[in-house]
Amino acid sequence: MAKNKIMVVDDEPHLVELVKAVLESNGFEVTTAGGGNECLDKLKDNEPDLIILDMMMPGMSGRETCEKIRENPKTKDLKVAFLTVARFSEIGKKTLEKMNVADYITKPFDNDDLAWRVKKILG
Amino acid sequence: MNIIEEIVKNQFLLILLHEEEYLKQLEEIVKSLEKTNKKICYVCLSKPYTDILEMLKDKEINTDKFFFIDVLSSHYKAPAPANNCIFVPAPTALEYIKVAIAKAVNEMDCGAVIFDTISTLLIYEECSSIVRFTHELSLEKNQENVKKLFIVLKDGTIPKVDNEELLKDLSMFADKTIDLAS
Repeated sequence: MAKNKIMVVDDEPHLVELVKAVLESNGFEVTTAGGGNECLDKLKDNEPDLIILDMMMPGMSGRETCEKIRENPKTKDLKVAFLTVARFSEIGKKTLEKMNVADYITKPFDNDDLAWRVKKILG
Repeated sequence: MNIIEEIVKNQFLLILLHEEEYLKQLEEIVKSLEKTNKKICYVCLSKPYTDILEMLKDKEINTDKFFFIDVLSSHYKAPAPANNCIFVPAPTALEYIKVAIAKAVNEMDCGAVIFDTISTLLIYEECSSIVRFTHELSLEKNQENVKKLFIVLKDGTIPKVDNEELLKDLSMFADKTIDLAS
């Protein structure tokens, strides 16, 4: 059975490595990107089952990256989740719903909880 | 929209002002805040503290209720010391601004902080740094009951795209966005 593919996008390399290790140990295939632009670039040749985006990144923010993913006919239906230190307001949560964000996981995260949430999103 | 009501109801507000109406609308907001019992911390990001002080006096607003954080004056020359103002070395000294706000809240008993204007920081800092700074301020310990009002100037000198992205990102954390610019 083919492994589910996940793209992890975060500007903090150690965090990317940690998330990658957790997800790989749970049977997922993981690719990474260090920012929004790199993510969009890699999506030209990759079609992950889920993109995990950091919210606050230098350059293009996670929100803007998600908007661009939704604007592109080729990527608009991809599943997106946020992994973030951000505490969203009610307005923020509604914006996430509008952007069709599957979930948001707050940092710091529990490894088992992260794996469980990703499995839940991918059904 | 009743601004006073919104200020009472919410802790983290984004307020959009139009450049041409800026002073008039700012006056309305400041007068709304003045009616609260606590002191107000005024973070001067676009004008020196002396200019803001003059403006408040001109509008017959009780300046004794204000404590100022001036991020501009020290950037150009050493300002004369003032007992109602902390001078931050530069607009890029975001950590210093946070410390100054903590001091205003804890030592001066300020119950509200107004950032005039947060969008001005885009001249010196990348959008993501301002968003992170603002988000961290919203989570500061011992400031849960302190109202924070972030003024964003619409159609100002900041490039429109940058301003819009900042606004969209800040909206993710704000309890309410009050648009007085449209």
